[in-house]
Amino acid sequence: MNPSEDQIYVIIFSTLFLGGLMSTFVVAMVFIHRQRQAQNKQKLDQIKSEHEKTLLNIENEIQQDTLTHVGRELHDNIGQLLSLAKLYLGSSKPEKQQEGKETINQVISEVRALSKNLNLDWVESLTIEEFIEQQLQKIESTGFCKTTFEHSIELGELPKDQKLVLIRVIQEILNNAMKHASPEEIKVKIWKDGATRTIQIKDNGKGFDTSIESSGSGMYNLKKRMETIGGDVSITSSIGNGTLIHLLLPN
Amino acid sequence: MDNKLIEAFFTAYPLDSIPMDVLMIIGLIYFLKLPKEKKTNIHFWLPFLILIFTFFYENFGKYTNYNYEFKKSVNEYFGNFKYPKFNLWLFNVAKRQVGTILYLLLIKSWLEPSKKKYINWMIYLFIIVASFLQFTGIEPIYLNQPIIFAIGANMILIGSALYFTGMITHPQYLDKNPLKLLSFWQMTFVMFTFTLTYISSVSLIYLYEADPVLGAALQQIDIVMKNINLGILTLTIASPFLPGFFEEEPFYVSHKTPA
Repeated sequence: MNPSEDQIYVIIFSTLFLGGLMSTFVVAMVFIHRQRQAQNKQKLDQIKSEHEKTLLNIENEIQQDTLTHVGRELHDNIGQLLSLAKLYLGSSKPEKQQEGKETINQVISEVRALSKNLNLDWVESLTIEEFIEQQLQKIESTGFCKTTFEHSIELGELPKDQKLVLIRVIQEILNNAMKHASPEEIKVKIWKDGATRTIQIKDNGKGFDTSIESSGSGMYNLKKRMETIGGDVSITSSIGNGTLIHLLLPN
Repeated sequence: MDNKLIEAFFTAYPLDSIPMDVLMIIGLIYFLKLPKEKKTNIHFWLPFLILIFTFFYENFGKYTNYNYEFKKSVNEYFGNFKYPKFNLWLFNVAKRQVGTILYLLLIKSWLEPSKKKYINWMIYLFIIVASFLQFTGIEPIYLNQPIIFAIGANMILIGSALYFTGMITHPQYLDKNPLKLLSFWQMTFVMFTFTLTYISSVSLIYLYEADPVLGAALQQIDIVMKNINLGILTLTIASPFLPGFFEEEPFYVSHKTPA
């Protein structure tokens, strides 16, 4: 075999080698793609199931709260009204009987209002702004502290899952403020900065050290819940300086 | 019609001429039938441009074989008196330089936006290096240009590798079946073309002198790969008329794509 034949063989085999190498490369890429696609699908399924679990937990918590509220209302309000009605209706005086009938009517409307709370349909009929207003009114009516609410934008109609999470998160923040911070004032603000819509909840209570993990991991729960709807939360607080929480809503 | 003309354009290289002419006609018909919005989309006009451009320079090459005097005078103009039968000056500029840039642009059109800048840099670098090598006479325009070809081919291989990296990492690609993506087939065959013709193109003059029969045989690989490539490009142009065959591309933009 002369040198020129050698070189020709080198050319042929190099070409075949490069062809083989490229075929292996493309086939390997397709296999890796398939593998990653399967991993990705598994990850997405996991995220979806976690999201559903979080939503279910939130629904359960809201229902639990509602049942507690209904129980209290039945005992403290409707029970009292029914007892009063029984007394009035037992009287022989026609005006007392009339008052008894009016009390029964009041009981009927109270029961109607209460029954609306028993399922989660109220979530759909209420906007986040209306919910915040209701919650702040409740706090003010107990005389616990002063509240203010400002909103420069309307959040509009949000999907039910986002609404449920936001309602629960806002409820949790307000409950925490009342339970642990003893503030004199709670301020809630909603605004939009670029594409980001933010709900700010600020209190001038005791505050806490954000570097120490709380036993109930409340901060972690808030963050996780906001993340399930594609949002985020930022908490700024220090002892004696109140707490400032920003809920960043998904775009 | 002149027999010499028929021979130059049709019978001398039937494997080269007939499939390319057929693909050109099909490509042209489908491109004209495309709605205006798709005609201005880079994913359709660029394959069509490559198809037209290839048809143009291949037929121009055939014309130079038919009109020997013209070919000889161009060679003499560039200072090539040794190989008057060569028409490498045409294929160097059209196929190895402009063609490489067009294929790099095609690869760029399928890359995720963050990776497009790498192709831009490659194109600038290729233009500078190719101009330098050619105008300084290191690789004359009328002879084989192995360095320019090697640089261009390596850039195309790197560009294709960028596409495949995106394919196995980007979530939008992970949602798709690559075998149903036209971009996958385009990239695969572009990569195969430049790989399989790499050695034979770099050693073109050596093969021409040492073993012209083998040289011509290896050039057949180039012709077959070119036809497959043009076939995929024609299929890309015709894809809106084949619903259900292919999936929508991850970075498909329905209107004009910014460069």
